[in-house]
Amino acid sequence: MDNYDYIREIAKKKMRLDGRKSDERRHLSIKTGVINHSDGSALVELGGTKALAGVKVLPGEPFPDRADEGGLIVNFEASELANNYESDRIMYSVEVGRVTDRGIRESNIIDLKKLVIEAGKKVLFVYIDIFAINNDGNLLDVANIAALSALVNAVYKIEGSEEKVPLPLNLDKLAISHTFVKISDTILLDPSVSEENAADTRLSIAVGEKINSMQKGGSGFFTAEDVDYCAGIAFAKKEEVKNLLTKAVKR
Amino acid sequence: MYEERFDKRKFDELRSIEAESGIIANAKGSARFRIGNTEAIAAVYGPQDVKPKHFEKVDRGIIMCKYDMMPFSVPDRAKPGFDRRDMEISEVITNALNRAVILEELPRSMIDVRVYVSQADAGTRCASLCAASIACADAGLPMRDLVAAVAAGKIGDSICLDLTKEEEDFHEGGATDVPIGFLPSKNEIVLLQLDGKVSREDLKKIIEIGKVGASKIYEIEKMALKRRFLNESES
Repeated sequence: MDNYDYIREIAKKKMRLDGRKSDERRHLSIKTGVINHSDGSALVELGGTKALAGVKVLPGEPFPDRADEGGLIVNFEASELANNYESDRIMYSVEVGRVTDRGIRESNIIDLKKLVIEAGKKVLFVYIDIFAINNDGNLLDVANIAALSALVNAVYKIEGSEEKVPLPLNLDKLAISHTFVKISDTILLDPSVSEENAADTRLSIAVGEKINSMQKGGSGFFTAEDVDYCAGIAFAKKEEVKNLLTKAVKR
Repeated sequence: MYEERFDKRKFDELRSIEAESGIIANAKGSARFRIGNTEAIAAVYGPQDVKPKHFEKVDRGIIMCKYDMMPFSVPDRAKPGFDRRDMEISEVITNALNRAVILEELPRSMIDVRVYVSQADAGTRCASLCAASIACADAGLPMRDLVAAVAAGKIGDSICLDLTKEEEDFHEGGATDVPIGFLPSKNEIVLLQLDGKVSREDLKKIIEIGKVGASKIYEIEKMALKRRFLNESES
Protein backbone atom coordinates (compact mmCIF):
# COMPACT_ATOMS: atom_id res chain seq x y z
CA MET A 1 0.00 0.00 0.00
CA ASP A 2 1.46 3.20 -1.34
CA ASN A 3 1.96 5.81 1.44
CA TYR A 4 -1.21 4.53 3.14
CA ASP A 5 -0.53 5.93 6.62
CA TYR A 6 0.95 9.16 5.36
CA ILE A 7 -2.04 9.92 3.11
CA ARG A 8 -4.44 9.25 5.99
CA GLU A 9 -2.39 11.43 8.32
CA ILE A 10 -2.12 14.50 6.09
CA ALA A 11 -5.77 14.15 4.99
CA LYS A 12 -6.72 15.21 8.52
CA LYS A 13 -5.14 18.58 7.70
CA LYS A 14 -6.91 18.65 4.31
CA MET A 15 -3.60 18.05 2.58
CA ARG A 16 -2.79 15.73 -0.33
CA LEU A 17 0.38 14.03 -1.54
CA ASP A 18 0.41 15.89 -4.85
CA GLY A 19 -0.26 19.26 -3.21
CA ARG A 20 -3.79 19.67 -4.58
CA LYS A 21 -6.60 21.35 -2.65
CA SER A 22 -9.29 19.00 -1.36
CA ASP A 23 -11.71 20.09 -4.11
CA GLU A 24 -9.19 20.35 -6.93
CA ARG A 25 -9.28 18.15 -10.02
CA ARG A 26 -6.12 16.98 -11.77
CA HIS A 27 -5.28 18.27 -15.26
CA LEU A 28 -7.91 17.13 -17.77
CA SER A 29 -7.16 16.62 -21.44
CA ILE A 30 -9.68 15.54 -24.10
CA LYS A 31 -8.85 14.49 -27.67
CA THR A 32 -11.66 13.51 -30.01
CA GLY A 33 -11.91 11.78 -33.38
CA VAL A 34 -9.08 9.37 -32.59
CA ILE A 35 -10.62 6.12 -33.92
CA ASN A 36 -11.29 5.73 -37.64
CA HIS A 37 -13.89 3.00 -37.59
CA SER A 38 -15.99 4.57 -34.84
CA ASP A 39 -18.73 7.14 -35.41
CA GLY A 40 -17.37 9.20 -32.52
CA SER A 41 -14.40 8.73 -30.21
CA ALA A 42 -12.38 10.35 -27.46
CA LEU A 43 -9.13 9.81 -25.57
CA VAL A 44 -9.38 11.35 -22.11
CA GLU A 45 -6.58 11.82 -19.60
CA LEU A 46 -7.17 13.01 -16.06
CA GLY A 47 -3.79 13.24 -14.40
CA GLY A 48 -2.27 9.83 -15.11
CA THR A 49 -5.59 8.06 -15.68
CA LYS A 50 -6.35 7.36 -19.31
CA ALA A 51 -9.39 5.95 -21.13
CA LEU A 52 -10.47 5.55 -24.73
CA ALA A 53 -14.14 5.68 -25.75
CA GLY A 54 -15.75 4.85 -29.08
CA VAL A 55 -19.35 5.31 -30.20
CA LYS A 56 -21.06 3.24 -32.84
CA VAL A 57 -24.53 3.91 -34.21
CA LEU A 58 -25.99 0.73 -35.68
CA PRO A 59 -29.49 -0.34 -36.73
CA GLY A 60 -31.31 -3.09 -34.85
CA GLU A 61 -34.67 -4.32 -33.60
CA PRO A 62 -36.15 -2.25 -30.76
CA PHE A 63 -36.63 -3.69 -27.27
CA PRO A 64 -40.19 -5.18 -27.15
CA ASP A 65 -41.25 -2.90 -24.29
CA ARG A 66 -39.87 0.21 -25.98
CA ALA A 67 -40.96 -0.14 -29.58
CA ASP A 68 -40.84 3.58 -30.32
CA GLU A 69 -37.34 4.28 -28.98
CA GLY A 70 -33.78 3.71 -30.07
CA GLY A 71 -31.35 2.00 -27.72
CA LEU A 72 -28.39 3.08 -25.64
CA ILE A 73 -25.78 0.53 -24.61
CA VAL A 74 -22.84 1.53 -22.43
CA ASN A 75 -20.00 -0.92 -21.89
CA PHE A 76 -16.91 -0.24 -19.81
CA GLU A 77 -13.94 -2.55 -19.80
CA ALA A 78 -11.30 -2.34 -17.11
CA SER A 79 -8.82 -3.56 -19.73
CA GLU A 80 -5.82 -5.67 -18.87
CA LEU A 81 -3.52 -2.90 -20.05
CA ALA A 82 -3.76 -1.84 -16.40
CA ASN A 83 -3.68 -4.24 -13.46
CA ASN A 84 -4.26 -2.11 -10.37
CA TYR A 85 -8.06 -1.96 -10.15
CA GLU A 86 -9.57 -1.50 -6.71
CA SER A 87 -11.62 -4.69 -6.96
CA ASP A 88 -11.85 -7.70 -9.24
CA ARG A 89 -11.43 -6.59 -12.86
CA ILE A 90 -14.72 -8.01 -14.10
CA MET A 91 -16.74 -6.72 -11.13
CA TYR A 92 -15.14 -3.31 -11.49
CA SER A 93 -15.94 -3.24 -15.23
CA VAL A 94 -19.58 -3.93 -14.49
CA GLU A 95 -19.84 -1.31 -11.74
CA VAL A 96 -18.20 1.50 -13.71
CA GLY A 97 -20.16 0.55 -16.83
CA ARG A 98 -23.48 0.63 -15.04
CA VAL A 99 -22.82 3.90 -13.22
CA THR A 100 -21.69 5.55 -16.46
CA ASP A 101 -24.77 4.19 -18.22
CA ARG A 102 -27.12 5.60 -15.58
CA GLY A 103 -25.53 9.04 -15.65
CA ILE A 104 -26.00 9.28 -19.41
CA ARG A 105 -29.41 7.61 -19.60
CA GLU A 106 -31.06 9.49 -16.75
CA SER A 107 -29.84 12.88 -17.93
CA ASN A 108 -31.90 12.32 -21.12
CA ILE A 109 -29.09 13.90 -23.09
CA ILE A 110 -29.97 11.61 -26.02
CA ASP A 111 -33.48 11.84 -27.40
CA LEU A 112 -33.93 8.12 -28.08
CA LYS A 113 -37.34 8.75 -29.66
CA LYS A 114 -35.58 10.46 -32.57
CA LEU A 115 -33.61 7.28 -33.33
CA VAL A 116 -36.56 5.35 -34.73
CA ILE A 117 -36.38 4.32 -38.40
CA GLU A 118 -39.58 2.26 -38.50
CA ALA A 119 -41.62 2.09 -35.29
CA GLY A 120 -41.59 -1.38 -33.74
CA LYS A 121 -39.29 -2.80 -36.41
CA LYS A 122 -36.09 -0.89 -36.87
CA VAL A 123 -34.36 1.61 -34.63
CA LEU A 124 -30.83 2.85 -34.09
CA PHE A 125 -28.69 1.64 -31.22
CA VAL A 126 -26.01 3.88 -29.77
CA TYR A 127 -23.17 1.74 -28.44
CA ILE A 128 -20.63 3.45 -26.19
CA ASP A 129 -17.58 1.32 -25.45
CA ILE A 130 -15.04 2.65 -22.97
CA PHE A 131 -11.61 1.09 -22.34
CA ALA A 132 -9.37 1.95 -19.42
CA ILE A 133 -5.78 2.26 -20.61
CA ASN A 134 -4.01 3.39 -17.45
CA ASN A 135 -5.41 3.57 -13.92
CA ASP A 136 -4.13 6.31 -11.69
CA GLY A 137 -7.41 6.65 -9.83
CA ASN A 138 -10.92 7.94 -10.52
CA LEU A 139 -11.79 5.88 -13.58
CA LEU A 140 -15.46 6.61 -12.85
CA ASP A 141 -15.07 10.27 -13.84
CA VAL A 142 -12.73 9.50 -16.72
CA ALA A 143 -15.15 6.91 -18.13
CA ASN A 144 -18.01 9.42 -17.86
CA ILE A 145 -16.10 12.25 -19.54
CA ALA A 146 -14.73 9.94 -22.27
CA ALA A 147 -18.21 8.56 -23.00
CA LEU A 148 -19.77 12.03 -23.19
CA SER A 149 -16.95 13.43 -25.34
CA ALA A 150 -17.25 10.53 -27.79
CA LEU A 151 -21.03 10.95 -27.84
CA VAL A 152 -20.85 14.67 -28.60
CA ASN A 153 -18.20 13.91 -31.24
CA ALA A 154 -20.39 11.26 -32.92
CA VAL A 155 -21.92 11.60 -36.36
CA TYR A 156 -23.87 8.94 -38.23
CA LYS A 157 -25.41 8.28 -41.61
CA ILE A 158 -29.16 8.21 -42.04
CA GLU A 159 -30.23 5.42 -44.39
CA GLY A 160 -30.46 6.48 -47.99
CA SER A 161 -28.41 9.59 -47.41
CA GLU A 162 -24.68 10.18 -47.69
CA GLU A 163 -24.69 13.06 -45.27
CA LYS A 164 -23.56 12.47 -41.70
CA VAL A 165 -25.53 14.08 -38.91
CA PRO A 166 -24.78 14.51 -35.19
CA LEU A 167 -26.79 12.52 -32.65
CA PRO A 168 -29.96 14.14 -31.25
CA LEU A 169 -28.30 15.52 -28.12
CA ASN A 170 -29.28 18.31 -25.76
CA LEU A 171 -25.94 19.63 -24.58
CA ASP A 172 -27.51 21.56 -21.68
CA LYS A 173 -28.17 18.18 -20.12
CA LEU A 174 -24.58 16.89 -20.09
CA ALA A 175 -24.31 15.12 -16.72
CA ILE A 176 -20.70 15.31 -15.51
CA SER A 177 -19.51 12.77 -12.96
CA HIS A 178 -17.68 13.93 -9.83
CA THR A 179 -16.07 11.33 -7.62
CA PHE A 180 -15.08 11.93 -4.01
CA VAL A 181 -13.37 9.82 -1.40
CA LYS A 182 -13.53 10.21 2.33
CA ILE A 183 -10.24 9.76 4.19
CA SER A 184 -10.01 10.38 7.95
CA ASP A 185 -13.19 12.53 7.80
CA THR A 186 -11.86 14.69 4.97
CA ILE A 187 -13.57 14.66 1.59
CA LEU A 188 -11.35 14.81 -1.49
CA LEU A 189 -12.42 15.36 -5.12
CA ASP A 190 -10.82 13.28 -7.91
CA PRO A 191 -8.82 10.72 -5.89
CA SER A 192 -5.53 9.35 -7.19
CA VAL A 193 -5.02 5.59 -7.01
CA SER A 194 -3.09 5.82 -3.74
CA GLU A 195 -5.87 7.98 -2.26
CA GLU A 196 -8.44 5.41 -3.38
CA ASN A 197 -6.42 2.73 -1.60
CA ALA A 198 -6.25 4.78 1.59
CA ALA A 199 -9.92 5.83 1.49
CA ASP A 200 -12.71 4.75 3.82
CA THR A 201 -15.39 5.22 1.21
CA ARG A 202 -16.21 6.72 -2.18
CA LEU A 203 -19.09 8.70 -3.69
CA SER A 204 -19.76 9.50 -7.35
CA ILE A 205 -22.32 12.10 -8.35
CA ALA A 206 -23.21 12.91 -11.96
CA VAL A 207 -24.81 16.34 -12.28
CA GLY A 208 -26.41 17.97 -15.28
CA GLU A 209 -29.39 20.23 -14.76
CA LYS A 210 -30.21 17.99 -11.79
CA ILE A 211 -28.42 15.18 -10.02
CA ASN A 212 -28.70 12.27 -12.45
CA SER A 213 -26.85 9.46 -10.75
CA MET A 214 -25.06 8.63 -7.54
CA GLN A 215 -23.05 5.65 -6.44
CA LYS A 216 -21.45 4.98 -3.11
CA GLY A 217 -18.55 2.56 -3.07
CA GLY A 218 -16.41 1.08 -0.33
CA SER A 219 -17.50 0.03 3.10
CA GLY A 220 -17.22 3.29 5.06
CA PHE A 221 -19.99 5.85 5.55
CA PHE A 222 -21.08 9.36 4.61
CA THR A 223 -23.31 11.64 6.67
CA ALA A 224 -26.18 13.53 5.03
CA GLU A 225 -24.09 16.70 5.41
CA ASP A 226 -21.20 15.02 3.57
CA VAL A 227 -23.47 14.12 0.69
CA ASP A 228 -24.83 17.66 0.48
CA TYR A 229 -21.28 19.03 0.59
CA CYS A 230 -20.25 16.76 -2.33
CA ALA A 231 -23.32 17.71 -4.36
CA GLY A 232 -22.47 21.39 -3.79
CA ILE A 233 -18.95 20.93 -5.14
CA ALA A 234 -20.25 18.90 -8.10
CA PHE A 235 -22.67 21.69 -9.10
CA ALA A 236 -19.95 24.31 -8.67
CA LYS A 237 -17.32 22.41 -10.67
CA LYS A 238 -19.35 20.92 -13.51
CA GLU A 239 -19.22 24.00 -15.77
CA GLU A 240 -15.42 23.81 -15.85
CA VAL A 241 -15.55 20.31 -17.31
CA LYS A 242 -18.49 21.09 -19.59
CA ASN A 243 -16.64 24.03 -21.10
CA LEU A 244 -13.52 21.97 -21.67
CA LEU A 245 -15.58 19.17 -23.19
CA THR A 246 -17.57 21.34 -25.59
CA LYS A 247 -14.40 23.18 -26.60
CA ALA A 248 -12.52 19.93 -27.25
CA VAL A 249 -15.28 18.44 -29.38
CA LYS A 250 -15.84 19.91 -32.79
CA ARG A 251 -19.39 19.23 -33.84
CA MET B 1 -5.51 -8.43 -62.35
CA TYR B 2 -4.36 -6.00 -59.72
CA GLU B 3 -2.17 -3.38 -61.36
CA GLU B 4 -2.53 -0.39 -59.11
CA ARG B 5 -3.13 -0.59 -55.37
CA PHE B 6 -6.35 0.85 -53.99
CA ASP B 7 -4.41 3.38 -51.93
CA LYS B 8 -1.92 4.10 -54.75
CA ARG B 9 1.04 2.65 -52.84
CA LYS B 10 3.88 0.87 -54.60
CA PHE B 11 3.66 -2.91 -54.27
CA ASP B 12 6.61 -3.01 -51.87
CA GLU B 13 5.61 0.10 -49.92
CA LEU B 14 4.52 0.08 -46.26
CA ARG B 15 1.70 2.25 -44.98
CA SER B 16 2.73 5.16 -42.75
CA ILE B 17 3.95 3.94 -39.36
CA GLU B 18 4.01 5.47 -35.90
CA ALA B 19 5.58 3.78 -32.88
CA GLU B 20 5.71 5.09 -29.36
CA SER B 21 6.85 3.47 -26.11
CA GLY B 22 6.05 4.21 -22.47
CA ILE B 23 2.45 5.29 -23.05
CA ILE B 24 1.01 3.49 -20.00
CA ALA B 25 2.64 4.99 -16.94
CA ASN B 26 1.73 2.22 -14.50
CA ALA B 27 2.87 -0.68 -16.69
CA LYS B 28 6.42 -2.04 -16.57
CA GLY B 29 6.61 -1.56 -20.32
CA SER B 30 4.15 -0.31 -22.93
CA ALA B 31 3.85 0.72 -26.55
CA ARG B 32 1.55 1.90 -29.28
CA PHE B 33 2.14 0.80 -32.87
CA ARG B 34 0.17 2.20 -35.79
CA ILE B 35 0.49 1.12 -39.41
CA GLY B 36 -1.96 2.86 -41.74
CA ASN B 37 -5.37 2.51 -40.14
CA THR B 38 -4.35 -0.40 -37.92
CA GLU B 39 -3.34 0.41 -34.37
CA ALA B 40 -2.39 -1.75 -31.36
CA ILE B 41 -1.64 -0.86 -27.75
CA ALA B 42 0.42 -3.19 -25.56
CA ALA B 43 1.28 -3.36 -21.87
CA VAL B 44 3.81 -5.63 -20.17
CA TYR B 45 3.79 -6.56 -16.48
CA GLY B 46 6.46 -8.64 -14.78
CA PRO B 47 8.61 -10.61 -14.36
CA GLN B 48 6.41 -11.63 -11.42
CA ASP B 49 5.43 -14.79 -9.52
CA VAL B 50 3.71 -17.42 -11.64
CA LYS B 51 -0.04 -17.78 -11.18
CA PRO B 52 -1.45 -20.43 -11.29
CA LYS B 53 1.52 -21.99 -9.56
CA HIS B 54 1.58 -25.24 -11.57
CA PHE B 55 2.54 -23.32 -14.76
CA GLU B 56 5.88 -22.48 -13.16
CA LYS B 57 9.04 -23.67 -14.93
CA VAL B 58 12.18 -24.12 -12.83
CA ASP B 59 14.61 -23.42 -15.66
CA ARG B 60 12.89 -20.53 -17.47
CA GLY B 61 10.18 -17.92 -17.40
CA ILE B 62 6.82 -18.05 -19.16
CA ILE B 63 4.92 -15.48 -21.19
CA MET B 64 1.17 -15.09 -20.79
CA CYS B 65 -0.07 -13.10 -23.75
CA LYS B 66 -3.57 -11.97 -24.54
CA TYR B 67 -4.78 -10.27 -27.72
CA ASP B 68 -8.20 -8.62 -27.87
CA MET B 69 -10.05 -6.22 -30.14
CA MET B 70 -11.87 -3.14 -28.91
CA PRO B 71 -15.53 -3.11 -30.04
CA PHE B 72 -15.11 0.13 -31.99
CA SER B 73 -12.02 -1.07 -33.87
CA VAL B 74 -13.94 -2.53 -36.81
CA PRO B 75 -16.64 -1.20 -39.20
CA ASP B 76 -19.34 -3.22 -37.40
CA ARG B 77 -19.13 -3.55 -33.65
CA ALA B 78 -16.93 -6.42 -32.42
CA LYS B 79 -18.66 -8.11 -29.51
CA PRO B 80 -16.61 -7.42 -26.38
CA GLY B 81 -14.77 -10.41 -24.98
CA PHE B 82 -12.33 -13.15 -25.89
CA ASP B 83 -13.32 -15.36 -28.84
CA ARG B 84 -11.67 -18.23 -30.75
CA ARG B 85 -9.91 -15.90 -33.16
CA ASP B 86 -8.46 -13.90 -30.25
CA MET B 87 -7.28 -17.16 -28.69
CA GLU B 88 -5.45 -18.29 -31.79
CA ILE B 89 -3.79 -14.93 -32.35
CA SER B 90 -2.76 -14.76 -28.68
CA GLU B 91 -1.11 -18.14 -29.18
CA VAL B 92 0.91 -17.22 -32.28
CA ILE B 93 2.04 -13.94 -30.71
CA THR B 94 3.10 -15.82 -27.56
CA ASN B 95 5.11 -18.25 -29.69
CA ALA B 96 6.95 -15.40 -31.36
CA LEU B 97 7.67 -13.64 -28.06
CA ASN B 98 8.88 -16.92 -26.51
CA ARG B 99 11.71 -16.86 -29.01
CA ALA B 100 12.41 -13.11 -28.78
CA VAL B 101 12.61 -12.88 -24.99
CA ILE B 102 15.51 -14.76 -23.35
CA LEU B 103 13.30 -16.74 -20.97
CA GLU B 104 16.22 -18.82 -19.65
CA GLU B 105 17.33 -15.71 -17.78
CA LEU B 106 13.98 -15.39 -15.99
CA PRO B 107 13.44 -18.74 -14.23
CA ARG B 108 10.32 -19.27 -12.10
CA SER B 109 8.73 -16.06 -13.31
CA MET B 110 5.81 -14.95 -15.46
CA ILE B 111 5.52 -12.06 -17.87
CA ASP B 112 2.06 -10.74 -18.68
CA VAL B 113 1.64 -9.22 -22.12
CA ARG B 114 -1.67 -7.56 -23.01
CA VAL B 115 -2.42 -6.27 -26.47
CA TYR B 116 -5.56 -4.46 -27.57
CA VAL B 117 -6.37 -3.46 -31.12
CA SER B 118 -7.96 -0.02 -31.14
CA GLN B 119 -8.24 0.28 -34.91
CA ALA B 120 -8.30 -2.55 -37.42
CA ASP B 121 -7.54 -2.39 -41.14
CA ALA B 122 -5.83 -5.78 -41.68
CA GLY B 123 -2.50 -6.81 -40.24
CA THR B 124 -3.67 -6.58 -36.63
CA ARG B 125 -1.64 -9.58 -35.44
CA CYS B 126 1.52 -8.12 -36.94
CA ALA B 127 0.86 -4.68 -35.46
CA SER B 128 0.08 -6.36 -32.11
CA LEU B 129 3.32 -8.31 -32.20
CA CYS B 130 5.31 -5.17 -33.00
CA ALA B 131 3.63 -3.29 -30.13
CA ALA B 132 4.16 -6.24 -27.76
CA SER B 133 7.83 -6.56 -28.67
CA ILE B 134 8.49 -2.82 -28.18
CA ALA B 135 6.68 -3.04 -24.83
CA CYS B 136 8.84 -6.01 -23.77
CA ALA B 137 12.00 -4.08 -24.60
CA ASP B 138 10.56 -1.03 -22.81
CA ALA B 139 10.02 -3.23 -19.74
CA GLY B 140 13.74 -4.02 -19.79
CA LEU B 141 13.34 -7.75 -20.45
CA PRO B 142 16.39 -9.59 -21.79
CA MET B 143 15.78 -10.09 -25.51
CA ARG B 144 17.51 -11.75 -28.44
CA ASP B 145 16.05 -9.08 -30.71
CA LEU B 146 12.92 -7.02 -31.33
CA VAL B 147 10.24 -8.67 -33.44
CA ALA B 148 9.39 -6.82 -36.64
CA ALA B 149 6.22 -8.20 -38.19
CA VAL B 150 4.29 -7.36 -41.32
CA ALA B 151 1.79 -9.05 -43.59
CA ALA B 152 2.79 -9.67 -47.18
CA GLY B 153 0.85 -11.53 -49.82
CA LYS B 154 -0.38 -11.92 -53.33
CA ILE B 155 -3.32 -10.07 -54.78
CA GLY B 156 -4.35 -11.15 -58.24
CA ASP B 157 -0.93 -11.63 -59.88
CA SER B 158 0.94 -9.11 -57.80
CA ILE B 159 3.13 -9.71 -54.77
CA CYS B 160 2.25 -7.03 -52.21
CA LEU B 161 3.58 -5.77 -48.92
CA ASP B 162 1.39 -4.71 -45.98
CA LEU B 163 -2.12 -5.56 -47.18
CA THR B 164 -5.16 -3.47 -46.23
CA LYS B 165 -8.58 -4.95 -45.45
CA GLU B 166 -9.78 -3.86 -48.86
CA GLU B 167 -6.94 -5.81 -50.48
CA GLU B 168 -7.48 -8.87 -48.28
CA ASP B 169 -11.07 -8.98 -49.52
CA PHE B 170 -10.02 -8.66 -53.18
CA HIS B 171 -12.03 -11.24 -55.10
CA GLU B 172 -10.89 -11.18 -58.72
CA GLY B 173 -7.98 -13.63 -58.81
CA GLY B 174 -8.07 -14.01 -55.05
CA ALA B 175 -5.86 -12.70 -52.28
CA THR B 176 -3.30 -14.57 -50.20
CA ASP B 177 -2.32 -13.18 -46.85
CA VAL B 178 0.96 -14.14 -45.17
CA PRO B 179 1.68 -12.54 -41.79
CA ILE B 180 5.40 -12.87 -41.02
CA GLY B 181 7.37 -11.95 -37.90
CA PHE B 182 11.15 -11.67 -38.00
CA LEU B 183 13.98 -11.26 -35.54
CA PRO B 184 15.80 -9.11 -38.10
CA SER B 185 19.34 -9.18 -36.73
CA LYS B 186 19.17 -12.97 -36.22
CA ASN B 187 17.52 -13.66 -39.56
CA GLU B 188 14.89 -15.81 -37.81
CA ILE B 189 11.22 -16.15 -38.65
CA VAL B 190 9.18 -16.41 -35.45
CA LEU B 191 5.66 -15.98 -36.78
CA LEU B 192 4.36 -17.35 -40.05
CA GLN B 193 0.84 -18.00 -41.21
CA LEU B 194 -0.75 -18.21 -44.61
CA ASP B 195 -4.20 -18.34 -46.03
CA GLY B 196 -4.95 -18.41 -49.72
CA LYS B 197 -3.00 -20.19 -52.41
CA VAL B 198 0.45 -19.46 -53.80
CA SER B 199 3.22 -21.39 -55.56
CA ARG B 200 6.53 -22.22 -53.94
CA GLU B 201 8.23 -19.53 -56.06
CA ASP B 202 5.68 -16.92 -55.00
CA LEU B 203 6.09 -17.80 -51.33
CA LYS B 204 9.83 -17.14 -51.64
CA LYS B 205 9.11 -13.73 -53.13
CA ILE B 206 6.49 -12.97 -50.46
CA ILE B 207 8.91 -13.76 -47.65
CA GLU B 208 11.61 -11.68 -49.34
CA ILE B 209 9.34 -8.64 -49.71
CA GLY B 210 8.21 -9.14 -46.09
CA LYS B 211 11.80 -9.23 -44.91
CA VAL B 212 12.61 -5.92 -46.57
CA GLY B 213 9.46 -4.37 -45.06
CA ALA B 214 10.27 -5.78 -41.63
CA SER B 215 13.75 -4.27 -41.70
CA LYS B 216 12.15 -0.82 -42.13
CA ILE B 217 9.73 -1.51 -39.28
CA TYR B 218 12.69 -2.65 -37.15
CA GLU B 219 14.35 0.76 -37.51
CA ILE B 220 11.11 2.53 -36.47
CA GLU B 221 10.77 0.26 -33.43
CA LYS B 222 14.32 1.04 -32.34
CA MET B 223 13.66 4.78 -32.78
CA ALA B 224 10.57 4.53 -30.54
CA LEU B 225 12.68 3.05 -27.75
CA LYS B 226 15.59 5.43 -28.22
CA ARG B 227 13.28 8.45 -28.19
CA ARG B 228 11.81 7.38 -24.88
CA PHE B 229 15.15 7.11 -23.16
CA LEU B 230 16.51 10.30 -24.74
CA ASN B 231 13.47 12.15 -23.36
CA GLU B 232 14.01 10.65 -19.95
CA SER B 233 17.64 11.71 -19.74
CA GLU B 234 16.71 15.26 -20.74
CA SER B 235 14.01 15.74 -18.13
